[in-house]
Amino acid sequence: MALEAGVRSAFARAIGAENVIDDPVRCRSYECDGLTGYRVVPELVLLPRDAEAVAAAVRMCAQHKVPFVARGAGTGLSGGALPVADGVVISLSRLKRVLEVDPVNRRAVLEPGVTNLEITAAAAPHGLYYAPDPSSQQVCTIGGNVAENSGGAHCLKYGFTTNHVLSMEVVLPDGSVVTLGGDTAEQAGPDLRGVFLGSEGTLGITTKITVRLLRTPETVRTLLADFPSVSAAGDVVSDIVAAGIVPAAVEMMDTLAIEAAEEAVHAGYTVGVPAALVVELDGPVEECDVQFEQVKAICDKHGCTRLHIAGGPQERAAIWRGRKAAFAAVGRISPDYFVQDGVVPRTRLAEVLDRIARMGRDAGLRVANVFHAGDGNLHPLVLYSAAAGETERAEKLSGEIAELCVELGGSLSGEHGIGTDKACSMPKMFGEDDLAVMHRVRGAFDPDGLCNPGKVLPTPRLCGERPGRYRPHPLEESGVIERL
Amino acid sequence: MTAADDTTAPTTLRPTDLRSVREAVLDSAGGLAIAGAGTAAAWGGDLDAVDSVLDMTGVTGVIAHNPGDMTVSVHAGTPLRRLNSELAPHGQQVSLDAARIARGATVGGLVATADAGPAALVHGSLRDLVIGTTVVLADGTVARSGGHVIKNVAGYDLAKLVHGSYGTLGVLVEVVLRLHPVPKRTTTVALDCPLAEASGHARRVLDGPYEPVALEWRSDSDGSGDGPAATEAGRLLVRVEGTEDALSGRARRLRAALGPAATEIAADAEAEEWAAHAERVRGGPGHAVLRLGALPSALPGLLAALPGAATPDAALTIGLGTGVATAALPADAEAIEAAHRAVHAAGGTSALRDRPTGFGGPAWGPAPSAVGVLKAVKTALDPAGRFGPGRFAPWFELTSPGRTT
Repeated sequence: MALEAGVRSAFARAIGAENVIDDPVRCRSYECDGLTGYRVVPELVLLPRDAEAVAAAVRMCAQHKVPFVARGAGTGLSGGALPVADGVVISLSRLKRVLEVDPVNRRAVLEPGVTNLEITAAAAPHGLYYAPDPSSQQVCTIGGNVAENSGGAHCLKYGFTTNHVLSMEVVLPDGSVVTLGGDTAEQAGPDLRGVFLGSEGTLGITTKITVRLLRTPETVRTLLADFPSVSAAGDVVSDIVAAGIVPAAVEMMDTLAIEAAEEAVHAGYTVGVPAALVVELDGPVEECDVQFEQVKAICDKHGCTRLHIAGGPQERAAIWRGRKAAFAAVGRISPDYFVQDGVVPRTRLAEVLDRIARMGRDAGLRVANVFHAGDGNLHPLVLYSAAAGETERAEKLSGEIAELCVELGGSLSGEHGIGTDKACSMPKMFGEDDLAVMHRVRGAFDPDGLCNPGKVLPTPRLCGERPGRYRPHPLEESGVIERL
Repeated sequence: MTAADDTTAPTTLRPTDLRSVREAVLDSAGGLAIAGAGTAAAWGGDLDAVDSVLDMTGVTGVIAHNPGDMTVSVHAGTPLRRLNSELAPHGQQVSLDAARIARGATVGGLVATADAGPAALVHGSLRDLVIGTTVVLADGTVARSGGHVIKNVAGYDLAKLVHGSYGTLGVLVEVVLRLHPVPKRTTTVALDCPLAEASGHARRVLDGPYEPVALEWRSDSDGSGDGPAATEAGRLLVRVEGTEDALSGRARRLRAALGPAATEIAADAEAEEWAAHAERVRGGPGHAVLRLGALPSALPGLLAALPGAATPDAALTIGLGTGVATAALPADAEAIEAAHRAVHAAGGTSALRDRPTGFGGPAWGPAPSAVGVLKAVKTALDPAGRFGPGRFAPWFELTSPGRTT
């Protein structure tokens, strides 16, 4: 059932015909996000120019009962911005002004289409930065970060988007405009800001966001260490934690991931070693000096076969380039792959890797592992060949890995979100009553169910369908973003 | 259904675990007040008369501590002080230093009142430390959200709804918390100055590489009426945490940045120094204690202009990085109403904490713009308005059952 002509022209009147795309061919550019296996062409794409126009568009949706999906840069990896058939996409791409940087109170006020990296760029002249750093930070937008509660490599120490956003102006699904949160973390009443953050675009659309800025750390120390086994590298992480050190980042790669990354960017990783750790400390010089020595000693104790300390910003950047290239680089050693995102309690890392290796062997597929070892957030990459007919097997294995994480006391997702991709797995992690209560909360914001329907919570209709196979996102093909 | 009138004391229900909490909710009827250790029993709006009080102090104890994962799940009635003393042998803690923890405040009570202390500058409040919750709703539904891992984006974060809900949405029964290492050493650098100079000094600290875990100014006056006006004399306190070897150097640099009048508090006097700060946060008898948040740059001026603040009868604290302040003011209903208005006009928020019994002043400022969503959430989770009737009056009172008749 397509939108009636009268409804189409109502949108054109509400926000201006020049801001509405109704040509199906052009609408096709919006058919998917970073989870390219799922595709739905929307009826219309709305490109409001300001917050008032966003509210006008949503009011029109509410009036005509048209489902809508907000969209930022479209880099999400869980299909959170997948359009709804018979619905409209509201793109926030034109709301991209940095409205204010307040160095005294360390805040920035942004429109939702500002990219993550642009925030830090605007803050940098004041010696400040915005902490959450998802690896798509060059292109992903703060509006999308709010929707997904994005993390990044440094969230072990600095937290997630929810810890850094103070307030949001939100267009609710009925088109009314409210502010959630305020100038400080101290707010009277239940924390609606916190509920909205990470709700994956299902509770409303942000049109203005105030974030905290942090002072750039005085110093940063980064090392890359090779280990004879994944479990030895895991023991290092445990000992670092037990020593009372909170690193800015701890990342681990296994032999397949190292091989792929090194082949792609020649960042100085040792091909053939079973595991490599990247450990980064930051803070006051005195503190970093002391703790960095402790970390080096812990690496030695666990049989580190090579320790490379970044001698300066360039070497540090090289280490991170290798780490961040791992995902795209896997394309060099396998024609196709699925990226998974799951979390286990850190102490079960060795166990989960062992189980994943076994599951891979049983399925006759290779699995490369790249992960945020400090917080137990895994990104297993299931390698397969579609041409060889392995797609279904690979997809099944990838899904089983996420559910294994839940079985081991973890989570279905650490940062990519549930979206369309994992809505049907939610009953593995939450009981019927838990999901029913989440549904009640959703209904309090969106009684008509128009705001990004079909995402996060399972629905019978959704869970009966099957996605298409993975296809690279255009930004991935051009090397602008990585999957992580 | 129990028939009760205003002269009958409410029935006290004393569950001991998740199951008995659920039974207590289901087996009772009418208005239900949730009580912890009683350290914040009067905060927020005055409760209407209720049929029952759900005393959560029997729902205590650690459920599981995973030292390697730095997480702990705990029953909500556990005093945080006790929890932290159990975690201490593992070198771990819940990094929250709210003033009333020393008085036995429970984990559930601290979450429900969104309380936090000076270390919120780095660690935030409990909303930032809670990673999972189990809540019992008015209809007996047991709802879990979050989980046992720090990094987790699966599903709505219902812990956030409970945070600051003052017992009006459901009963928090189990809480999973993220832990931090107990610092090897802490030290505090102090500088005596009046309120008007505090911001300038704080700026020098924040602009430098010192990474304080707390940055507060507190009045010398504790509001008892002796001595100087609260705004005239006070002390800037900067706490840094770190390793044995590094901390002395950091404290030295910090002292140098603050000038020759700055001193490092002796190790054996540090706890006392912060206890004096906590005392001002709590206020004394005869005070109406207002908690407020506003832009740090606006806060000193805003605070100084509150009715009664610039007198020896007030006690003040300000988080100069967090923008969170407390003002223990002479208890006067009209003055508190004016204070709410002033904070709101400056773009801030305010909530009334302890005050003398029978104090008639308003607990809250003007309702937030999202009050419609708050009402809808309340209706979705507690349609009969059983939990904490009156707490958020006049924001989102439904037709409260108060006491059944």
